[in-house]
Amino acid sequence: MGASDGQSESGLKRAHFREWRLPFWLLAPQLFILLLFFFIPSIRALIQAFQLTDPFGATTQWVGFQNFERLFRSNVYWSSAQVTLIFTIAQNVLTLSLALLLAFASNHILRGRGAYRTVLLLPYAIAPAIAGIMLAFLFNPRVGPVAQMLQGLRLDWDPNRNSWHALALVVMAASWKHICYNYIFLVAALMSVPQSILESAYLDGAGPIQRFLRISLPMIAPTLFFLIVINFVYGLFETFAIVDATTRGGPAGATSILVYKVYQDGFVTLDLGSSAAQSVVLMALALLLTFAQFRFVERRVNYSV
Amino acid sequence: MRPLYGALAGAGALLLAGMSTVQAATEIEFWHAMSGALGERVDELVKKFNDSQKDYVVKAIAKGTYDEVLNGTIAAYRAKRQPEIVQSNERSFLTMVNSGAIVPTSELMAQQGHPVDASKFIAPVVSYYAIDGKLQAMPFNSSTPILFYNRDHFKAAGFDKPGATWQELEPQLDAIKAKGVSKCAMVLPGDYEWSFLENYSAVNDIPYATKRNGMDGLDTSFVFNKGKLVGQVERMKRLVSSGVMQLAGQGIIPIQLFTSGECSTIIASTASHAAVVAAAKFDWSATEIPYEQGVKPRNSVIGGAALWTLKGHTPEKYKAVAAFYDFLAKTDTQVWWHQATGYVPVTTAAYEAAKAQGYYQKNPTREIAVVQLMRGTPSDNSLGFRIGNSNQINVAIMEEVSAAFLGRKPVQQALDDAVSRGNEALRRYEQLNAGKK
Repeated sequence: MGASDGQSESGLKRAHFREWRLPFWLLAPQLFILLLFFFIPSIRALIQAFQLTDPFGATTQWVGFQNFERLFRSNVYWSSAQVTLIFTIAQNVLTLSLALLLAFASNHILRGRGAYRTVLLLPYAIAPAIAGIMLAFLFNPRVGPVAQMLQGLRLDWDPNRNSWHALALVVMAASWKHICYNYIFLVAALMSVPQSILESAYLDGAGPIQRFLRISLPMIAPTLFFLIVINFVYGLFETFAIVDATTRGGPAGATSILVYKVYQDGFVTLDLGSSAAQSVVLMALALLLTFAQFRFVERRVNYSV
Repeated sequence: MRPLYGALAGAGALLLAGMSTVQAATEIEFWHAMSGALGERVDELVKKFNDSQKDYVVKAIAKGTYDEVLNGTIAAYRAKRQPEIVQSNERSFLTMVNSGAIVPTSELMAQQGHPVDASKFIAPVVSYYAIDGKLQAMPFNSSTPILFYNRDHFKAAGFDKPGATWQELEPQLDAIKAKGVSKCAMVLPGDYEWSFLENYSAVNDIPYATKRNGMDGLDTSFVFNKGKLVGQVERMKRLVSSGVMQLAGQGIIPIQLFTSGECSTIIASTASHAAVVAAAKFDWSATEIPYEQGVKPRNSVIGGAALWTLKGHTPEKYKAVAAFYDFLAKTDTQVWWHQATGYVPVTTAAYEAAKAQGYYQKNPTREIAVVQLMRGTPSDNSLGFRIGNSNQINVAIMEEVSAAFLGRKPVQQALDDAVSRGNEALRRYEQLNAGKK
């Protein structure tokens, strides 16, 4: 394994790129985009987190950790963190289980499989804001057809006056948007499960559900793990448009998840310092989460087939 | 080589000559937040101006909601690509004044030879947009909340019209619901912080914040967690939890629930006239917003927006801006704008002119807002509001008050929390803008 006799090993080695210019230019476009859209904004956010500033940038004061202190003292922030936890877990469970069910089902359909798959993938093409508005309208207690059905079932559905209803609505909207993404990966993973093993299980008398639970599921575990990570990232960082369109974080902050608060405090109320501090906290959280997931959860996933 | 250079120079000269004729009209950009029917009115207004003379062309560009326009303006200003004129709502007054990015309107107009006399504008508008009698922005679309009601519903419930006080109105709303005339006796507007709290305190002459609601300095603090305002929020909570007052929620605009005949009343901006006239298929009318029994009601305060002039442009462009403002302040323009949109005329001359035309005899609901705004002499509590970080504070207040509606907090505690969150934002504003007005 020594690096000195690398010639005998397969794969790309440093030796193949004695010349530094080629790799640099190959990487440059990606690095440039990262610099422009990730590193520069991140550094600016980090600086701004320690400042109090006028929206137009006329006056700027250094305030040390004041923005962070304010954040951690604020009950509103902690309740937002709590909502985020419930939201991301619920969204993850709902998305993954429904996508798995659909992938399993559509894998067992012989006729018109392509059509089913296309239909199931369609929601992915809809912009989050549109999806949010549509759900908000369907579930609007005064005019929404679905809400009226629920009220017909004697359920006092009102996301404007009930925090749990509002949270359920946002979870539904966010999951509905993301099921298709999970679905594509799961269909692909299920298709790669070797037929021979499934057939031999069939000969041993295992039913479709048993085969799925005992054979397919363990074999697609790496994909499931990847999707769990992706779903957390999605729930934590990409759902503000859906929340904005569905509930605007209300009622009374019941659906104001952390990333929506960053957006609202920064872009709606122009509290730039606090918004920057919040995004720094979120960034740290993302690093921590990814690290923890790969460190502890990945051990339980078996990649070798 | 020589002939080629000659040809190029000739072509260049021709090009320059061509450009100079094209550029004879100075073009300026005007970013606004008017959508739907109101957006069409803005386009008409701008066209009227462009057609009225040859020297200047105003380009009106809709940039989304007030928040989005402000955001876009800030981004553009920081990138040094700001428009000449931007529409910004009355809440952002201090943000704009202290931004260091604007040219005060009075100053601009004096420089360009169109001096404006602030006293020509109606009092609640001047008290909002002028500092020491000098207009900071050009008043554009000013509104105030009024009570729209479904006359058919009131008749069906056995009433002539809504009562003038809350004590008279509340039993009427209860009766409308109890008798099954409509399932929704009132719909809560999205901007209820303005119509139910700020305007309530102005009309009933009770303090909202110290230092004459911030007019006398940045060291103001909120005091709305005491006295009558607590009662007002208690009332709102009772109406919401008994289902008499409904919340529209996302996906639908509150005024639509009124114009569709679903809800019997709404307290909404007078600018809603455009939507009500277009959509309501029933016998409707409007009246002044209710007040507390035994109180001599004061004037309400304005909402809406004004036009701000941004720094960093050539004198030519400012000439165009001044000409446009001059056109806006003209009585004819104001009368047209008032009648086409439902906003109040911002000058007294325009109000008198509309009255002289007999416009209010034919359209009585159009006068309610003006009468309500000019009622009596403004007191310290009804002069207007000058609150820093007002967007942050608004969000906090609405969040706390709706927590009370949901029964998550007692009303008193929700208001105490709203006051302390609001005061914290005020102190932060004071810290950043120390020494400013």
